[in-house]
Amino acid sequence: MGDIILTMKDIDKSFPGVHALDHVDLEVRKGEVLALMGENGAGKSTLMKVLTGIYKKDSGTITYEGKEVEFKNTREAQEAGIVIVHQELNMLGHLSVAQNLFIGREFRKGIRIDDKKMNEEAKKLFDRLNVDIDPTETMSNLTVGKQQMCEIAKAVSFDAKVIIFDEPSAALTESEIEEMFKIIRDLKKKDIAMVYISHRMDEIKVITDRVTVMRDGTYVGTLITEECSKEDIINMMVGRVIYEDPKTESAVPKDAPVVLKVEHLNAGKMVQDVSFELRKGEILGFSGLMGAGRTETARALFGADPKESGDIYVNGKKVTINNPQDAVNCGIGYLSEDRKRYGIVVQKTVAENTTMASVNDFMKGIFIDKKKEKEIADKYVEALATKTPDVEQLVVNLSGGNQQKVVIAKWLTRNSDILIFDEPTRGIDVGAKNEIYKLMNKLVAEGKSIIMISSEMTEILRMSDRIVVMCEGKKTGEIDISEAKQENIMNLATREIE
Amino acid sequence: MANKKAFGKLKGREAMVLGIIAAMVILFSVLSSTFRTYPTLVSVLDISYYITLMALGVTFPLITGGVDLSIGTGLVSYALIGGFLIVHQGVPVGVGILACIGIGVLVGVFNGVLIAVMDLPPFLATLCTCMITRGLGPALCGGFGVSWPSAISADGAFRNVFKFTSDSGTVIPIGIVFMIVLVGIMSFVLEHTRVGRYTIAIGSNKEATRLAGVNVKFYHMLAYIISGLFAGLAGVAYAATYATIYPGSGAGFELDAIGGAIVGGVSASGGVGSIVGAFLGVFVICLMKVGLPFIGLQANWQQIFTGIVLIAAVLIDVIKKKK
Amino acid sequence: MKVEKIKQNTLVKKVGFNRIVLIFVMLLMYLIFGGLTGGSFFGISRITDTLNYAYFLGFLSLGVTFVIATGGIDFSIGPVMFCCALVSGYSLMTYGVPMAVSLIMSILIGVLFGAFNGYLVAYWKIPPFIVSMASMNIAKGIAAVFTKTQSVSWPQSTAADGWYRNFVNMNGIPVGLIVFGTVAVICAVILNKTKWGRYILCLGSNEEAVRLSGVNVKKWKMLAYIICGTLVGIASIYFVAAYTTVQPGYGDQYNNEAIAGCVMGGTSMVGGLASISGTVIGVFIISLLQQGILALGFTKEYQYIITGLIVIAAVYSDVSARRRKN
Repeated sequence: MGDIILTMKDIDKSFPGVHALDHVDLEVRKGEVLALMGENGAGKSTLMKVLTGIYKKDSGTITYEGKEVEFKNTREAQEAGIVIVHQELNMLGHLSVAQNLFIGREFRKGIRIDDKKMNEEAKKLFDRLNVDIDPTETMSNLTVGKQQMCEIAKAVSFDAKVIIFDEPSAALTESEIEEMFKIIRDLKKKDIAMVYISHRMDEIKVITDRVTVMRDGTYVGTLITEECSKEDIINMMVGRVIYEDPKTESAVPKDAPVVLKVEHLNAGKMVQDVSFELRKGEILGFSGLMGAGRTETARALFGADPKESGDIYVNGKKVTINNPQDAVNCGIGYLSEDRKRYGIVVQKTVAENTTMASVNDFMKGIFIDKKKEKEIADKYVEALATKTPDVEQLVVNLSGGNQQKVVIAKWLTRNSDILIFDEPTRGIDVGAKNEIYKLMNKLVAEGKSIIMISSEMTEILRMSDRIVVMCEGKKTGEIDISEAKQENIMNLATREIE
Repeated sequence: MANKKAFGKLKGREAMVLGIIAAMVILFSVLSSTFRTYPTLVSVLDISYYITLMALGVTFPLITGGVDLSIGTGLVSYALIGGFLIVHQGVPVGVGILACIGIGVLVGVFNGVLIAVMDLPPFLATLCTCMITRGLGPALCGGFGVSWPSAISADGAFRNVFKFTSDSGTVIPIGIVFMIVLVGIMSFVLEHTRVGRYTIAIGSNKEATRLAGVNVKFYHMLAYIISGLFAGLAGVAYAATYATIYPGSGAGFELDAIGGAIVGGVSASGGVGSIVGAFLGVFVICLMKVGLPFIGLQANWQQIFTGIVLIAAVLIDVIKKKK
Repeated sequence: MKVEKIKQNTLVKKVGFNRIVLIFVMLLMYLIFGGLTGGSFFGISRITDTLNYAYFLGFLSLGVTFVIATGGIDFSIGPVMFCCALVSGYSLMTYGVPMAVSLIMSILIGVLFGAFNGYLVAYWKIPPFIVSMASMNIAKGIAAVFTKTQSVSWPQSTAADGWYRNFVNMNGIPVGLIVFGTVAVICAVILNKTKWGRYILCLGSNEEAVRLSGVNVKKWKMLAYIICGTLVGIASIYFVAAYTTVQPGYGDQYNNEAIAGCVMGGTSMVGGLASISGTVIGVFIISLLQQGILALGFTKEYQYIITGLIVIAAVYSDVSARRRKN
């Protein structure tokens, strides 16, 4: 293993009300891939932002190539050779690939930008990385995977000595991840140090050399990847084993009535001929990799996006769903993965959000019956154990898990029988996760039916009665929980489609 | 080309606008025999100068995803102040012209600071400067109309830059030559310099541009300064083509320029647009302005039509995007 | 949790505090103008002028409050108000349309423009500023074409049809103030107590979340513009009832003043947060200011400049308050 290139010591950073980093240490060596792991909110991204100058640290030292440094902005960090490949893509959709690669440092002839040279340089760069992208293509025409490759290529083009990958695989398909790993191995040979932030345990095992774990803004420890097991890492991350036994058998009777039947649903590339059934009291898991088309299926079913064809039956009756209104009227509720954007109105109160989908039931003449509204909101705050001082609290002040509960309350108030949970526990801490699980089990016990889209295998195996697996916009299989294993789900999720 | 796909699209749009212009010319010519005469051409060009200049400038804020509503009342106010200095303060014409352009740039800087530094919504900020410039001219010059020196006077040479009258009395609209040169220059600026590149980048994704280390505030501001500069130039062009400048006029001029730019393919939501397109789009508006009276619709119909054309142009984009 | 609770309380207090400050500013302005004009500003005629100005501006401002609450903008309201007054007034004076019908026509034209704007913004997703720009010119164009670019004078109080002027002032009773107050209360009730207001405010805050709750957001968004249009129509009646004469090609300045009143009163430009009482106070401040500027002997040009600067200041304080919160 190479020499130490970067050391962060005793890094401390506070935001109003949050101690984001509490004397954190980090050490990166040349030619290694260091995994940086931790739960959401453990402080990984904050640490990297401190490193690259996006945030200013309160105290501590950063030593890079033997010298103490403090970058004022990303540009200074880039020039020194520390580059970050962001989780959310920083692309300029209207510009070409080459123009994106060299944005902010264009080649010039006098005042004229030398686009020709930029295209040539981009081509050289892609050749070196063995990726096939046309530098003159408009960025927005590329797939998300290719865009990610461009981001990596851009990082490499800075003559980077340290590259930080912030959840790079989140939006990639299996084959694209493979391609990216090839590039990473290549870079390793060139003695470049890499920090790899990811939640995917399997990737960590494949690509990284060491693992540094953070928890609640503190440094927990560093392990050699080869010498440790998944359990070890997870233990360090949460301080206890979270692995719970997967469900072994479905509790739903075989003859339970079908409440929702979807036949030959088509909506663009991401939803091709999807059919499935949902039974009363069942949790139907939707598994698959990112970009498999699960969210798109849910949104098309819910009428949030237009669909091309497909029949939907609710309780045996054929229904037309052209927009969310139709879906809600059929008793379907959708809980988006991105609550802040699609689930709640953060600047409004808990009570107002609770009755959002059913204001009509809370009318007294032409006025909204605020007393009745408050009653129902209070009822669900209690029933779901939502932590809020009162229902007049603005939702923006609630934590992620409690915001999720407000969304659930919204659909329960509407009396929706079919609930679509899209990544129900994303961005929610471990304790609150368990509460959401309990709640979902309680709901199905009460006769509701749930479609649960999840990218977490443990979640799928723990909660589902049946599992639908999707891959590249198609349904590739359906497994009963009694037969479900990680391996056969993964197999279906990555199946090559002719 | 650097950006084949986007470039190809714009070429199509430009061709379409050219087609519309041709169709309009044919339509008006068929319906009115007086339309197809040389004086009509001259009056179309006369009207086109100040609108073109405004459009060239406002294309930059539009591409950043903003807008500059202050150019219309602005140009009148700058021309008023410039003319006031020349006529009532005895300042040389050259200095008057520089003052006119200079105040335009200053207002551009003001807009830029409001939008790029203070983060105000562009339409609101420039709506305010629209009102401020509207008041500024009359407030400084006493609320009277001003006539810049006429073409025949000793100081009137600047008028010949736009409309050259030969000794025999023939009028040669050489202003169009300068317009084409300016279109060339601004096209170059937009497509081949950092100013243009970053203008598009800001309209495409401001945050990503900032993270790339670009001084976003500066370039964002620059877009409004360019707009102000061209509003100043438009003020000169307006003063040169028209006899008298009346205080309080100019409201609604900006629509002609912004409408023209959008008809020419500049996106109302930023990131897309070409100078040539904006230039051609302006001619659709100008032809309508001049042509409608020839087919028996009084001048005010033009206002209604411009509004409808603007909405139609944006609607086309919206519908295209849906597909 | 406790900390958050306190934070919210101070916020609520702050909003109330802002309004108290605004009222204080208003009184102070009144005193200053009074002092500078040697007391003539306190005269009954100035008060009447200010009120007359506040009525039509107030209706405009109330209307645009609904639009801004959805996160949109409408700066066609001034010219549209003139279009209403001109078209119906011309019909009244030239075609002999009865007074009552003309008044209804005024409101209907406002409603039509509101529906037109709202339809384009809500159903076709055209940026509001483009729609405003277009309909501003369409309104001016229609008014000019319809009246053949002539100004229109509505009947004087003494004429047979002069009864409409009682809407402003009937034998010394400030009917206008009563009507304006009533409409403002109705607006506040709509905004805060009914489904309409609930949806308008919520969609201004997060349109997509409201849509995914199964709400027809397009309909409610369009409704905000229609409410605005209705109030613009009413504003046109109050304009002619106060001033009788309307000239085509004008009206732009009132856009700014109406938006100024609204933003000053604490309605947020990004939508989701609106205050009718704030708008009412804001409108009175703006009206006082306009009258004060004239009373001090300045021309209307200075009104433009000062109002422009005020809107900038008000919007900036809104923007920076939001930035601080994040």
